[in-house]
Amino acid sequence: MELLQGLFIPNISPTLNDNIHFMIKVENLKKSYGDVPALNGVSFEIKEGEFFGLLGPNGAGKTTTISILSTILEPNEGKVTIGTYDLKKDPGQCKRTIGVVTQEIALYNKLSAYENLMFWGSLYDVPADDLKNRIAETLQLFGLADRQHDKIETYSGGMKRRINIASALLHRPKVLFMDEPTVGIDPQSRNLIFEVLEKLHKEGMTIVYTTHYMEEAERFCDRIAIIDKGTIIAQGTLNELKNTGGLKESIAVTFLNLTDLVKTKIGTFLGGEFKFEENVLHSYTSNVKTDLSRLIIGCSEAGADIVNIEIQKVNLETVFLSLTGKQLRD
Amino acid sequence: MFKIAVKDLKLFMADKRAMLLTFLLPIPLITLFSLAFGGSGKSSEARPTILIMCDEDKTKASHHIVEQLDSLKEIKVQLSSLDTIKRWIGNGDEDAALILHKGLSDSMDAGKPLPMELIYDKAKEMQMGILMSALSGNLMRFAGTKSFEKKALANFDKQNPGMDSAMREGVHAMIASNFSGGSRDGGKDEPMLKATPMEAQKENSPGLVQAVAGTAVMMLLFSVAGLGASLLQEREDGTLKKLLFSPLSPSNILFGKMISANLVAMAQLLIMFLFSWLVFGLNIKQNIPGLILMIVATAFACSGFGIFLASVAKSRAQVQGMTTLIVLTMSAIGGSMIPSFVMPAWMQHMAVVSVNYWSIQGFYDIFWRVLPVTSPVFLMRVAVLLGIGLVLNFLAVRLYKRNIKSIA
Repeated sequence: MELLQGLFIPNISPTLNDNIHFMIKVENLKKSYGDVPALNGVSFEIKEGEFFGLLGPNGAGKTTTISILSTILEPNEGKVTIGTYDLKKDPGQCKRTIGVVTQEIALYNKLSAYENLMFWGSLYDVPADDLKNRIAETLQLFGLADRQHDKIETYSGGMKRRINIASALLHRPKVLFMDEPTVGIDPQSRNLIFEVLEKLHKEGMTIVYTTHYMEEAERFCDRIAIIDKGTIIAQGTLNELKNTGGLKESIAVTFLNLTDLVKTKIGTFLGGEFKFEENVLHSYTSNVKTDLSRLIIGCSEAGADIVNIEIQKVNLETVFLSLTGKQLRD
Repeated sequence: MFKIAVKDLKLFMADKRAMLLTFLLPIPLITLFSLAFGGSGKSSEARPTILIMCDEDKTKASHHIVEQLDSLKEIKVQLSSLDTIKRWIGNGDEDAALILHKGLSDSMDAGKPLPMELIYDKAKEMQMGILMSALSGNLMRFAGTKSFEKKALANFDKQNPGMDSAMREGVHAMIASNFSGGSRDGGKDEPMLKATPMEAQKENSPGLVQAVAGTAVMMLLFSVAGLGASLLQEREDGTLKKLLFSPLSPSNILFGKMISANLVAMAQLLIMFLFSWLVFGLNIKQNIPGLILMIVATAFACSGFGIFLASVAKSRAQVQGMTTLIVLTMSAIGGSMIPSFVMPAWMQHMAVVSVNYWSIQGFYDIFWRVLPVTSPVFLMRVAVLLGIGLVLNFLAVRLYKRNIKSIA
């Protein structure tokens, strides 16, 4: 992988025509804490109804970005537009446009789910009757209607997380910020949340999603921005990220023993891009099917005993690793 | 902000432990302090204190003093010998005794200093302050006045040696009448007694007022500190951050907290006074507007203290530590634990910095001094409490706005 670092062409700009309406526009956002810079001119745009992933290692600037977009942190420089509202000039309207699902479960344990939802919904001045209807619908959606009058403290972690998400939807926000919404929950709750996310996405809600789970980002995100050290280092669709960076799939072959002579023989017939890491050969290819059989035959002829063969496809994890040098969960 | 207040009240009521601590815990404490500071009911119904006395003079005048003291509602005299008394006090069986030494009657006749002595257990100096305060006024009237009367008569006789006996008797009667409070019958001592006990004219026992007001304010300070800490709990639980995402302004969130803290504080005070009325007979009906005003002012000052504490502290653990230290200090110097009049003068001066002092004095104004609600003294105390509340709330808002930035 080290071989590939620096080859990726960063900052894949989406080709957008004039008819596309941006729900969020972030321009040259800068923020520092004392002398420590957190954001160094972050810019991106999110289309209406888009599911947008914001990925980055810890300390990259994700939380700072989300905090600014959700109005609780002021940037030092830059401009943010949410819908048609300028965040600086009209934070009140921006707050009514967005819903925020925080990583921590922010609910009142001594109150019931219904009381929690009534409270959080009432903060947005939703008329009482509408709010009651919306709560009923939302509880149904999250499969918790029968537990609505139980205190939150009696709920499992997954159920709490579902209510936590539900509480951010009652005022029908146009944009939903979700910060690691599936951390530490049971598969049943995770699947239910996924179903809700898909439904919201289908209904046209703009969703900004941060996660450490690559499979979630790959499954849901229309576009992804990768942020590191306060800078957006790449953004685009999953395919754009995979293809444009020059990343190739690789075949990893593990041998029982690998002498220098064998290495030379293998190197002679392989050609192309490859590298050895102890007893493992990494061969980079643009056509796994044809190269795999050639590789097996060549290795046998070179007298190498193959223990294991693994095909490593290009995915978000490898893109992320090549861009940041870190695993997403670092 | 009312939504925050309503939510906080719901949370408070959902927390049975907090409810018990706020409303029920003060009741046994009030009961304990009420019994300790003068029993239940009105002052006229209070159980008398046993006063150990030794009459070494054994004259008509000394008997008179003993009888007068014994006739007071608050005091029951128990006579004993000097040796026995000294043994009792030496053993710690009794705290103090009043000794009427030989020559008391002669000193009264001659207008000299009276040979009376209060001997007491040195370990009980604090109680002596209270006893001395209670006795000195009565003794001055029972013995001191008689002494001055005798001196006046002697001076008159000395300056008018040739006066006939009938006229002399008439003038003596007039002088005696003046010293006995205007009675035509100068030989009777009843008027002296009637003029003495201010307590008998009052509706409520000062001990009861002290116990109820002192305990109520102290417990209230503890309670509101806990309510203020709910702000820090919101911070720790992440709900404060979530509130900041909503259209509510940071100030509105804090004002909501203030409203709920005030409402709970007022409810707590009201319950404590209602309990004192029902169980100990504290007459809370004698000045209801004054009581309401003082409850509101006290609740405002105390809740300001709670919110201020929550704004200064960085965690709930810090609030707990600071609360214990500050509330106990304020309660000690402010007169919640012991009446401020028994404290040294410098401590009494320091008491004005505590919420407890102004509040307790305000409740004394209502229940003991029976001041009208329009009394400048009473209104001044209300104003001071409201002022304390305003300053603390103002500082809390400033600190909170500064700290809120770190939440993001």
